[in-house]
Amino acid sequence: MNLVFTIMILVSLVMLIVVSPESAFSIMISGASSALKLAFTLIAIYAIWLSVLSLMDGIGLSKMLNKLFRPLTKRLFKGESDLALEYITLNFSANLLGMGGAATPLGIKAMECMQDGSEKATDNMILFMVINSTSIQLLPATIIGLRSASGSNAPSDIILPSLLATIISTVTGVVLAKICAKFRKKEKESQPEVLPKQPLYSTQPLGQAKK
Amino acid sequence: MSKYILPAFIIIVILWAFIKKVPIYDNFVKGSKESITLILSIFPYICAVLIAVELFSLSGLNSYLAKIMSPVLSFLGMPPELCEILIIRPLSGNGSLALLEGIYKTYGVDSYIARCASVIVGASETVFYVGTVYFSTTKVKKLRYAIPISLIACYVGAMASCILCRFM
Repeated sequence: MNLVFTIMILVSLVMLIVVSPESAFSIMISGASSALKLAFTLIAIYAIWLSVLSLMDGIGLSKMLNKLFRPLTKRLFKGESDLALEYITLNFSANLLGMGGAATPLGIKAMECMQDGSEKATDNMILFMVINSTSIQLLPATIIGLRSASGSNAPSDIILPSLLATIISTVTGVVLAKICAKFRKKEKESQPEVLPKQPLYSTQPLGQAKK
Repeated sequence: MSKYILPAFIIIVILWAFIKKVPIYDNFVKGSKESITLILSIFPYICAVLIAVELFSLSGLNSYLAKIMSPVLSFLGMPPELCEILIIRPLSGNGSLALLEGIYKTYGVDSYIARCASVIVGASETVFYVGTVYFSTTKVKKLRYAIPISLIACYVGAMASCILCRFM
């Protein structure tokens, strides 16, 4: 992420200093202020959704949904806790129904439950991110709305191709993520055999360090 | 029909909570409080990403990259006019909607190019946004293979979109 970010801003700034140096700073500010606007909108959206979600927890609806999807989620995300699976299920349901505002806070909670305390993302966390970034929405409501606003004759024509394209991209993502996870696992399994052969520092007498 | 789903769902949840004697007002207070702490932790990430995205699209780097990429797209059998939207799609949701509207105006809403663009935007997500926001409250710094695989999956979906739009 650091590398992508650095390249993006550095190359853009170099281009701007050639083309229009006076606008560079104002563009950066406008980026930051659109983040501020977005944050305010999101506070409102998440306030509603987190309230509804906490009610859903209270009445046991979350647990019911979890039971329903457990056979699938348990197989995809092996070894995750029940709470993590519950958040994953709720995130997927919200995504399927196109409730992006509800999906994001749930996704964040699911990630918190899945982390193992290290700085590296676990295979399950990556799989979860991949599924979320290939969109599993059943009905692209925003696009249909935009199409009918632009005067389309058949705004909902794109539903079927969108659904198929989403299935293709999600399946591709899951398969690739699983392949990567397996590949890394094999690497990890073969590593510990090499490690003990290396000399350990603690075996060296302390006195020698002074030389 | 779809406009009734959301309010109906919320009504059902509230009625259900009322019957089960779950305190509704207390839960709304709790939810709103959680929302503020959540935004406080994800705002720095949104801010950094949006500064980069704004620089990227307004500096002209985006359209410059699109020019370089267009022969690749033609080679893959995709309309080269979609370059810009393919580059912006994983970076910014609002940016890609704005480009989509531009495509509707330039080529006509029901043209092949516009339908392809609609399906591409509808069937993918803002990969970099998901990558930063979802991990924002965890200790994770290294995403390993997460972003490359998400991008590959999205672009496979985009290629499929263009093929599907020819027949549908």
